[in-house]
Amino acid sequence: MKRYIMGNEAMAWGALESGVRVVTGYPGTPATEIVDGCLQGDNVYVEWSANEKIALEMAMGASLCNMRAMAVMKHNGINYATDFIMHLNYTGVRGGLVLVGADDPSGNSSQNEEDTRILLHTYGHLPIFDPSSPAEAKEMIKEAFTLSEETGSCYILRPVMRICHSRSTIDIQGQKQLDRQPKFEDDRSRFVMSAVTEAKAGGKMRPLWRHSLLNQKQAEFSKYAEDSSFNHLEEGEGKVGLVGCGIGYTYIKEAERILDKKFPVLKLGTLPLPKSKVINFLKKVDSVIVFEELEPVVERMIKQICYEEDLKVKVMGRESFLPGEGELTSELVIQALTDMNLVSHPAEAVRSEIPVPIRTRTQCIGCQHRGLLSALKQVARKNKAIVTGDIGCYDAGSFPPLELQSTIFCMGSSIPMASGVHKTGIDQPAMAIIGDSTFFHNGLIGLVNAAFNQSNMTVVLCDNSTTAMTGFQPHPGSGEKIGNVEAPYIDAGKIGEALGVKTRVVNPYLLEETKDAIAAAVKEPGTSLVISRAPCHLLNMRKTKQPYFEQRSVKMIPENCNGCKLCITDLGCPSLYYVEDEDKVYIDENNCVDCGLCADVCRRGALVL
Amino acid sequence: MKIDLIICGVGGQGNLLASVAVANYAMGKGLNVIGSETIGAAQRGGSVVSHLRISDKDIYSATIPAGSANILLGFEPVEALRHMERLAPQGNYIVNIEPVPTVNCNMGLDKYPSLEEIIKQLNRVTSNGYQINASAKARELGNVIMTNIVLLGILCRVSDFFDKDEFVKVLEEIVPVKARDINIKAFEAGYSMVKTE
Repeated sequence: MKRYIMGNEAMAWGALESGVRVVTGYPGTPATEIVDGCLQGDNVYVEWSANEKIALEMAMGASLCNMRAMAVMKHNGINYATDFIMHLNYTGVRGGLVLVGADDPSGNSSQNEEDTRILLHTYGHLPIFDPSSPAEAKEMIKEAFTLSEETGSCYILRPVMRICHSRSTIDIQGQKQLDRQPKFEDDRSRFVMSAVTEAKAGGKMRPLWRHSLLNQKQAEFSKYAEDSSFNHLEEGEGKVGLVGCGIGYTYIKEAERILDKKFPVLKLGTLPLPKSKVINFLKKVDSVIVFEELEPVVERMIKQICYEEDLKVKVMGRESFLPGEGELTSELVIQALTDMNLVSHPAEAVRSEIPVPIRTRTQCIGCQHRGLLSALKQVARKNKAIVTGDIGCYDAGSFPPLELQSTIFCMGSSIPMASGVHKTGIDQPAMAIIGDSTFFHNGLIGLVNAAFNQSNMTVVLCDNSTTAMTGFQPHPGSGEKIGNVEAPYIDAGKIGEALGVKTRVVNPYLLEETKDAIAAAVKEPGTSLVISRAPCHLLNMRKTKQPYFEQRSVKMIPENCNGCKLCITDLGCPSLYYVEDEDKVYIDENNCVDCGLCADVCRRGALVL
Repeated sequence: MKIDLIICGVGGQGNLLASVAVANYAMGKGLNVIGSETIGAAQRGGSVVSHLRISDKDIYSATIPAGSANILLGFEPVEALRHMERLAPQGNYIVNIEPVPTVNCNMGLDKYPSLEEIIKQLNRVTSNGYQINASAKARELGNVIMTNIVLLGILCRVSDFFDKDEFVKVLEEIVPVKARDINIKAFEAGYSMVKTE
């Protein structure tokens, strides 16, 4: 059956067609829908795990029972799971284990951009498939499961955002069930990673022995890469060869179509490289340009091959010739060929001569975070507090007009960073703001550390009971799990109490109450937790068809507005608009949802109930 | 044949449904289709763009190279401006002239350009443009949410690629059953808004 679907769904089908039994992940653009897509299978266990390291550890547990498992995450999740990856590479796997690490070159929906091939292959020595299209990504997942079992190693699929988020016609063959029952067999010399001597390795230390086995595995990975149909050579004119890794190949093909020219092309979809294919290619050309996302990984490998094989081929790519950052495009391929004087293709694109206003991310109209951010900003300003931030919808409070949080790093870093601020002895209060999904991901341990080491700080937990930013995935504090199935509710407030942290729960739509609670927390010694609890407005409207807050209609009295814009800088609701000619702020009746918060913020009697 | 189409707008304007409709139409004709979407911030009033590539030959990149889109379908003036670099000089643009101000423009932190300025910029690429208030037409028909359907009607009229009756059949399959009649009406209304020679 052919269907027009997203790349992520195609990858889900690749896993289902491989007879995957356990699928785990933590939501993160661009990978999220791969996990959701697996819900279409029968007899497959699918979960949103609390974080990516846990997701991978879960998948490994399933693999040890000889079942096929897949863990799915974005590049930041790979970073977080690294500690486990650096052991799983030594031990290998039993049932097929595929790790999907989606990269986001240009950081279109991420805090940074990075190339996980370095972490997983250069550092972790694991084999990788790098797809050039969604259809190929699906086939690669199937091949990855097969090879994972043949080599006893975890295989990686590294799609980039343009693969995940593109839509194309995909051939779906349907789910396959493996005729296999879960069975656990002990093999302690393999799965007990510890600094002990290994009798079967002549008394070598076990880590050293396992490392040597991983090194020996590379030859096996290389052989499969050599035979793989995901790597191939294409004949073409001239002595400049184009190397296309993953989606880099797609952009080369697009450029060839636009230019109506055929260059010698080496398509690469695996790591390690198919060395003989690379050497054959290098022997036909004088120079090569390597198009890869994102770092010069393959470029350096090819340079090494040239050195080892004594080939005088000029190798260009991300290291010098092409931009060292940002995603590839077919335009970039054409530009590179133009710079090499191989083609003449004047750019036809006409760009705007006037500035194009950007659409910054902000809280939705009616969002429960807006009341909290307003309250927090007012208390922080009064107390000259330093506010560290975290990742989630509420992080838009760090952008204009609120400009509240001073930092955004990675999941859960707000709390330890605020602890560190406090421990310098600085005479300003330290505060951390973190969302509920982020709290359960990796914030919790930061709170434990703060309580244990007696950090004098306030943690503000924005609890909307969902992972709203990535599309409402459940987490341990949601009361439900994937597929809208009821699940135990883990109460962050009870965790706070158990840690001996003074805990307060407030309704963020009640601005004064919220301000009072935060102000009290800032003034008291020790670690305090303020939980701002109200359901995500969008999700709540979808579920209950009525707002969580008491609807309060606000009137604008023009003669009372003096244009102070406090309602914008301290609340910033998109339903408010400033009219420059009149120096007044009005309410857009078309989209206002009557949360009433602007009336609580206005001090001039211009916005009144 | 090859048609590269950009559909751009603001999250919530029904951009995705429009691109699915066009993709289904093309697939129904046995053509290859590849699309690409920005998703993520779409629910929060973000800028949303779909690239749709239709061809009877192989298609590679899911994104349309700058300067090569045959049609730019802008659901919102500033979004059309943002993506005008994709449009080919031989191409057409259709822009819904009703602005959705940005949050920063609303708050006096940024300036929303005048419609005249925006059209002037678009016309630097090609004068083959249609500036139409599709939102007003949808509102007149009962609900501004049908702006995307009105725009599809306009697209169908502007581009020779689409056959009206066949497009209606595609739409009937993807819009909710209870809203079918009103959506077809919106499509027809859009179709009649353009006078072609």
